[in-house]
Amino acid sequence: MKETSEKPLVFSKHLTGKATLEHLTRFDKLLTEMMGSVEEKPEAIDDITVVEVSQANFAGIIAAGMLGEFGAEVIKVEPPEGDPARKITPYGQRLNGIGLPFLMESRNKYHITLDLNSAEGQDNFRKLVSKADVVIDAVKPGLMDSLEIGYRQLSQLNPGLVYVAISPYGHYTSKAKELCNIPDTDLTAQAASGYPSLTGNPEAPDPYNYPVKAGIWAAWYMSAALAVAGTLTALLHKRRTGEGQMVDVATNDATSAWQGFQIVWGFTMEKPRVRVGNFDWCLFPYGYYEAKDGYVTVASVLDADFRGLLKILGRWDLENDWRFLFDRITDDVEKLKTLEAELKKELAKHARKELVSKTLSYSAKAARDRLRSKGFPIIIETRSPREVLEEKHWQIRKTFLEMNLPVCGKFMIPASVPKMSESPPRVKWIKCGLGEDNEYVYKKYGLGEK
Amino acid sequence: MGKFSEDYFAFTGKIFDRSKTSEKPEVLKGVRVLDLARVIYGPVVSKWLGLFGAEVIKVEEPEEGDQWRTGTYWAKYWKDSCPYFQSLNPNKCFIGIDLKKPRGKELVLELAKISDVVVESFRAGLVEAWGIGYTVISQVNPKVIYISCSGYGQWGPLRFFPSWDLIAQSMSGVARLTGFPGKETYKLQDYYGDFFPGLLGAMGVMAALNYRERTGKGQYIDMAQAEALMRTMLNWTYMSVVGEDLERTGNVDPSMVPSGIFKTADGRFVAIAIATDNQLSALLKAMGRTELAEDKRFRETFERLKAGNAEELDKVVEEWVFTKTEAELIELAKRHGFPAAPVMDDWRLVNDNWRRERGSVTEFEDEMYGKGIWVASPVALEKTPGRVKRLTKPIGYHNRYILKRLLGLSEKEIKELEKEGVIGYWSNRVGQRPPPYYDIENDPIFNYRDGEKK
Repeated sequence: MKETSEKPLVFSKHLTGKATLEHLTRFDKLLTEMMGSVEEKPEAIDDITVVEVSQANFAGIIAAGMLGEFGAEVIKVEPPEGDPARKITPYGQRLNGIGLPFLMESRNKYHITLDLNSAEGQDNFRKLVSKADVVIDAVKPGLMDSLEIGYRQLSQLNPGLVYVAISPYGHYTSKAKELCNIPDTDLTAQAASGYPSLTGNPEAPDPYNYPVKAGIWAAWYMSAALAVAGTLTALLHKRRTGEGQMVDVATNDATSAWQGFQIVWGFTMEKPRVRVGNFDWCLFPYGYYEAKDGYVTVASVLDADFRGLLKILGRWDLENDWRFLFDRITDDVEKLKTLEAELKKELAKHARKELVSKTLSYSAKAARDRLRSKGFPIIIETRSPREVLEEKHWQIRKTFLEMNLPVCGKFMIPASVPKMSESPPRVKWIKCGLGEDNEYVYKKYGLGEK
Repeated sequence: MGKFSEDYFAFTGKIFDRSKTSEKPEVLKGVRVLDLARVIYGPVVSKWLGLFGAEVIKVEEPEEGDQWRTGTYWAKYWKDSCPYFQSLNPNKCFIGIDLKKPRGKELVLELAKISDVVVESFRAGLVEAWGIGYTVISQVNPKVIYISCSGYGQWGPLRFFPSWDLIAQSMSGVARLTGFPGKETYKLQDYYGDFFPGLLGAMGVMAALNYRERTGKGQYIDMAQAEALMRTMLNWTYMSVVGEDLERTGNVDPSMVPSGIFKTADGRFVAIAIATDNQLSALLKAMGRTELAEDKRFRETFERLKAGNAEELDKVVEEWVFTKTEAELIELAKRHGFPAAPVMDDWRLVNDNWRRERGSVTEFEDEMYGKGIWVASPVALEKTPGRVKRLTKPIGYHNRYILKRLLGLSEKEIKELEKEGVIGYWSNRVGQRPPPYYDIENDPIFNYRDGEKK
């Protein structure tokens, strides 16, 4: 957590002056005391046991892992042949036979095998859940109920149980029943949430003008985080009343329901948005541009920021043409393109470093302006993951962890988020051997001999 | 125990019946949140808390307010308000306090003293410089849960660097991952770089509330926007194991074959992604191409995932999809059990009966703004459902309601604060003011009297 000796770049008039710097020094000291030595600190929910049953569904796998990061004892139940999620991995790449997403998200879990189609397996499952607090059901909706180990049966056995269902269309509504046979994936969840309809360039040739999916598992991660937040909310209710309940996440709904702007747009405009390439619907410029030696990101959010940007680029001559505040967020995309063409031309003349340092020195000066009238435009390098790894900041913050598994060797994962002072989430271990913890879990929870 | 005679979905339909939502309890009733945050990232942390019953007090600068009040799409305002702002800040109370005035700062500290959670989203260190940071507030309220939402976290050389959704996307490396190989890259739309980190912030606060329930202890949460985005990226693991970069792949999910967004016979788009061998069998059966399951290039998952093989199978599916309509494809997916979904758009989402029945999208009537269609709770909780009770209000609308009720100020004291400019209201600008038809002068909350003589 040591700060480098370089003088930090300060971009606010509020963060200068001796008194302030002293105050920040005190805060730094407090942070060092508060946020250090994560391993020795208590865990937020280490009194909670989570039983995860997922079938090729990373929303369930990630959610269970995140609860594990907050301290829960997480037991992942797999069929004897294993969760097919073990094989879901880019280009078939794996470490010691394990797919990389499964490896990265097997955080603080115990792995056991139970044949839930057999009476014995169901019996053991009931025994396990009778002592648990949370079940994560990320299999086909209604399947667990048909095996007599669903919410109806388990909540009779354990009234405090929080039963978290994760599926494409949820566990209730007529459509959920009708489409319960359709399995979940991130891509289909993104599509059903309407997310790809916002991305892409309609003027490109086929198929490049199609709606474009997010390049990360945007829907699965959003669904998982919503499931975790929902579980923690239900657990708080349980702590106060002893009462459990069912929590339902529909991955086909999660992203649009949390981000919400698609609904706002549809309701107010009574039509869908069309894809606008590098433009945004509220802000301009707010996107990626090509500099001489790679991409930069340009964001000028307020009107004053835009004018600052013109100064940085030496294009004050354009100012008078864009005098109206709303010109740049107009529905007249054609007009905006003329401005974009000018900016593109200007940005392409400079190297990335040059643009960034120009902006930083402008901003440092503008920050001292009392009325913030000089604006605060931002130009930074659009970093690749490899460039990110070289950034000292993340090394200091331990944003990435290097794991070392006896059978697998070394690999890297992103650390737990967020950082917390009293009961921080953390990765205690990663392991994913099929049935690796049968002995420990069977014994601890009194499950029958296998 | 055992089998129930009632159909499972009839049972779940009953327990999640959304017409009963308003009769059910709220988990966070009695939890008070002081919300100093702006724009999207910070405000959605308290949005979560407000959906589940917390009393959220949003502090804004008089006559300025949250920048998002005036920043709207295509300069469209709805009843003089920004509709996005409405969707971000339901159920909150709005109070206008000038933080630059010493008495304003004092008021914030008094409110912080009686709050359970404080949310801020200024540049790292700024609240500390202003004297309303964790160092000060934890002194007057040791049980407080204080979350700072910044771009890069509170320590480290980048901490003072500015951030927006897009900047966090760029600094985390996620910026380079969306789009077709060799073509332009796209940002994650609709401010994913704010909404996802904000959600992880809410998750952190909920974990802290659980911990406080057990131990009585509060804590500090250092939420870094870029770190939240990095948490979703497989690239780090991939690079460390494979030694190569994981590049963008257009509409293909490289961990599922076949996968893609395909054009249908009726000119729509449908996403199909096959994650398991069983799902592949189901798809091939629907296509009438079961012989492909025996093909040695596709039979085995890891073999299928190899680049050349994947492309061939994707092409077969692409051609097949083009012969079917969207409705036919979904019908086949339902019958055979493979993952497929139409690419929805804004207008279809709003008109989707499923979402209405679920309760995640809801039409309701607000006391100030009338009827509208809004998102409600993104997760369904059977016994303690989240809910939207009201939309936003103009800056300072709840000044009297909060200051009299919570801090015991008198009408006279409030008038003085107004005169000194310590507290204030909206300016007469679109985005800030009440809707033109609304009789604010006779509004009982705006003119809250609290037992005083009428």
